[in-house]
Amino acid sequence: MSDRMRHIRNFSIIAHIDHGKSTLADRLIQRCGGLSEREMEDQVLDSMDLERERGITIKAQSVTLQYIARDGETYTFNIIDTPGHVDFSYEVSRSLSACEGALLVVDASQGVEAQSVANCYTAIDQGLEVVPVLNKIDLPSADPERVIHEIEEIIGIEAEDALRVSAKTGEGVDELLEAIVTRIPPPEGDEEAPLQALIIDSWFDNYLGVVALVRVVQGRMRKRDRILAMSVGRQYQVDKVGVFTPHAEERDELAAGDVGYVIAGIKDIGGAKVGDTFTHVDRPAAEPLPGFQEVQPRVFAGLYPVSSDDYEDLREALQKLSLNDASLKFEPETSQALGFGFRCGFLGMLHMEIIQERLEREYDLDLITTAPTVIYEVETTRGEVIEIHNPSELPPVNQIAEIREPIIHATILVPQNFVGNVIGLCIEKRGVQKQMHYLGNQVQLEFELPLSEVVLDFFDRLKSVSRGYASFDYHLARFQPAPLVKVDVLINGERVDALSVIVHRDFAQQRGRELVERMKEIIPRQMFEVAIQAAIGTHIIARSTVKALRKNVTAKCYGGDITRKKKLLEKQKAGKKRMKQVGKVEIPQEAFLAVLRVDK
Amino acid sequence: MPQAIPLGLYVHIPWCVRKCPYCDFNSHAVGDGPIPEQAYVDALLRDLELELPLVWGRRVQSLFLGGGTPSLFSAEALARLLSGIRARLPLVSDCEITLEANPGTVEQARFADYRALGINRLSLGIQSFDDALLQRLGRIHDGAEARRAIDAALAAGFDNFNLDLMFGLPGQDPEAGLADLRTALSYAPPHLSWYQLTLEPNTLFHARPPRLPDEEAVDRLYRAGLALLAEHGLHQYEVSAHARPGHACRHNRNYWEYGDYLGIGAGAHGKLSLPDERILRRARQRQRQRYLPDAGSAAAITSEQTVSPAERRFEFMLNALRLRGGFDLALFRARTGLEDGALEPELGELLEEGLLSKTGTRIRPSERGWRFLDELTARFLPE
Repeated sequence: MSDRMRHIRNFSIIAHIDHGKSTLADRLIQRCGGLSEREMEDQVLDSMDLERERGITIKAQSVTLQYIARDGETYTFNIIDTPGHVDFSYEVSRSLSACEGALLVVDASQGVEAQSVANCYTAIDQGLEVVPVLNKIDLPSADPERVIHEIEEIIGIEAEDALRVSAKTGEGVDELLEAIVTRIPPPEGDEEAPLQALIIDSWFDNYLGVVALVRVVQGRMRKRDRILAMSVGRQYQVDKVGVFTPHAEERDELAAGDVGYVIAGIKDIGGAKVGDTFTHVDRPAAEPLPGFQEVQPRVFAGLYPVSSDDYEDLREALQKLSLNDASLKFEPETSQALGFGFRCGFLGMLHMEIIQERLEREYDLDLITTAPTVIYEVETTRGEVIEIHNPSELPPVNQIAEIREPIIHATILVPQNFVGNVIGLCIEKRGVQKQMHYLGNQVQLEFELPLSEVVLDFFDRLKSVSRGYASFDYHLARFQPAPLVKVDVLINGERVDALSVIVHRDFAQQRGRELVERMKEIIPRQMFEVAIQAAIGTHIIARSTVKALRKNVTAKCYGGDITRKKKLLEKQKAGKKRMKQVGKVEIPQEAFLAVLRVDK
Repeated sequence: MPQAIPLGLYVHIPWCVRKCPYCDFNSHAVGDGPIPEQAYVDALLRDLELELPLVWGRRVQSLFLGGGTPSLFSAEALARLLSGIRARLPLVSDCEITLEANPGTVEQARFADYRALGINRLSLGIQSFDDALLQRLGRIHDGAEARRAIDAALAAGFDNFNLDLMFGLPGQDPEAGLADLRTALSYAPPHLSWYQLTLEPNTLFHARPPRLPDEEAVDRLYRAGLALLAEHGLHQYEVSAHARPGHACRHNRNYWEYGDYLGIGAGAHGKLSLPDERILRRARQRQRQRYLPDAGSAAAITSEQTVSPAERRFEFMLNALRLRGGFDLALFRARTGLEDGALEPELGELLEEGLLSKTGTRIRPSERGWRFLDELTARFLPE
């Protein structure tokens, strides 16, 4: 191993949302002089505004730091940030596979959470050295002994020598920096072997095209090298390589063990997919690095512009977003109720909400989002198997031999006193309990649950029944037959395709009732009565009515000042513009999402 | 051709003894010390002079002293105001001169004097005869005073007068609402404004809404009330205005027919058709402390706009459709300077939908359109 490589430490920080990952990363950057005081903006690693607001990291990024250790030598630290949400578990696994170590950061007052456990297992599976770090030890409620016990019980790693830090006050950070040097192993890999560079992340830059963040596993990569993205078979010429300090800093080369960026005239991120391997065209590696997967959306929803004039703008915006987000899939779709729009595939609900918000905020689009749905497999009576991404595509009942729904395997960590509530919730959601372990104060529950029930409102409910203490991780297990039916909503006798949902037969009646009641609350009174019905096929299962307005007349209009009256009417008109006309009925945007927000 | 368009003059007097919790007009409680009557009359006359070049050669067919509570002004002050107006602007010989008055005891004593000044129409803010309701409405009079005020108006020789009544009041059942109406009708008023209480923004009621009777009850009262009014020969000619034949309020009717009007006084609005075919809207400084020194100079004018053709169309419809009898297309052309086609495609659509009806060249809201007037009007909003 070269001397250069001996001085490299590649690691990630694994932490639950709010446990202080970003603050700790900032503190490390500051200690290593990566940014001047003046430049030190809080939470450097979370670069998108949206991420900062939501307190989560969506896309991985890295920072390269120089640390002068107590042994007098200078070490290069590459901190590779990982997304902190279950929707992005593939990205997490790719980030982790670029590291030799991971800091497991646990809030010393809150203890271990399921998300950290899942990521920690991934890290251990990949042979990473996991260094436990107890953060927020300055808090009066900190209980390091209990948390150490939990880490040992739940994750099964030695935690007696866990580092105790406060990212906020800086306490213990010096010891942490030393531990990174002494406990995390340096990278291995032959600098002279054929190039293998793992794409950890890639994003589109308006000026540079695609920027790929890579970990060089073996070989070297230089400017003007001809490289090949092995899974897609596309070739590029390297324009620039460099590292983020966190400023982009150009280098002559990236060699085995290094983490840095590559710019190579790549036009779209489909040409540099996360998990893919770059190698040289003229001296290729025999095989790509293992672990590459095409990301598959799990949740689908229709996105429609409120005003049909915005259709092209929406297409453009989706195209732009997908430049930067390989997991966002979309294709045109037509709804009788909503007109022209797109069926979009997302990794999960959070991903969907983020895309929706970005479209509205960054592209100034007024959107109607239909209730998200999972993929169903339908076997028809003719023996065909089709994938259903939209409830309205479901064939008539008499043509269906079997419907299969996706089942997930969920791991839930919850303090003992809320176990009953959580089990109750899982059973309500058609869950089947697989395992239960008592681990110190916490209980680890394993359940199989239909993904559709999780998409609905599971996260929110889980938080509320456990007062925020339960945490959750899942992976897709299989497709399984279930007695599912499609519930349609009819408004004044017209079926509104965008409001259809697929539900378990046992819940259909109840969901139908809840749906019409919610619609009744949301649809404003109009000049005529609005009948709302829920139906399975031609069978009406619930009904409700929005009574007609008696009248809508301004009583008083004197004095020659018409400006106020005009403003009022303009405001009402603008409100209506945000509604969708179905037949003669005006339906507010919320109605289409309300399908999934049915409060119990 | 502005000469052919009727011209009204509105004078705003922004003082009240107390601000009512439902009122969103530009009015403020008197506070300590006397009202600066003299200074305000001077300001009004200066303000009027500023407008004169725009209405050269035209006669005023109606004059409306509104507020606020104009009857807080002494007869002397109003005398000076009226003669000042007459000296600057010709009034037609049968000019309708309306004064809004509060039915308080102090004011009643002045009614005869007001009549002597040539004020020929009195509009009394009765609102209700029910003591408890009047209190809820924050009014300073009670039912007995209201009755005495009408008697005093009649005694003073006001054969043309209006009673303002409200309905749909907090805690008012349909029977109580009809009782109010019957009491009012017992005085055989030539004109009655009967309007539903609505909670307007920037009022105390809006901030702390009272419990209003349910919609069905209000609707029952409304229907029964309309029938009762019609029985007594008072016909609904505008959403809230009812009159015996020939007694519609000329001044208000002029607003609804999209006529011209000058507006002077704090916060007053005016609308004028100019010889160059523009339509001009002007608004005055709302705060009386600032209006007083600024009146007569451009500083008192806080906004001035030319009304675009698209806005004219909307403004005309906003007003004219409030008239039960609707309007003749000839009036639309005369008042807006637009052709009939400018009302399309909305006019055609609304006729099709049965919200408007057309007889010859007269357009009016249908029974159904009349109930949903705001929706109807909103269709004509400029894009």
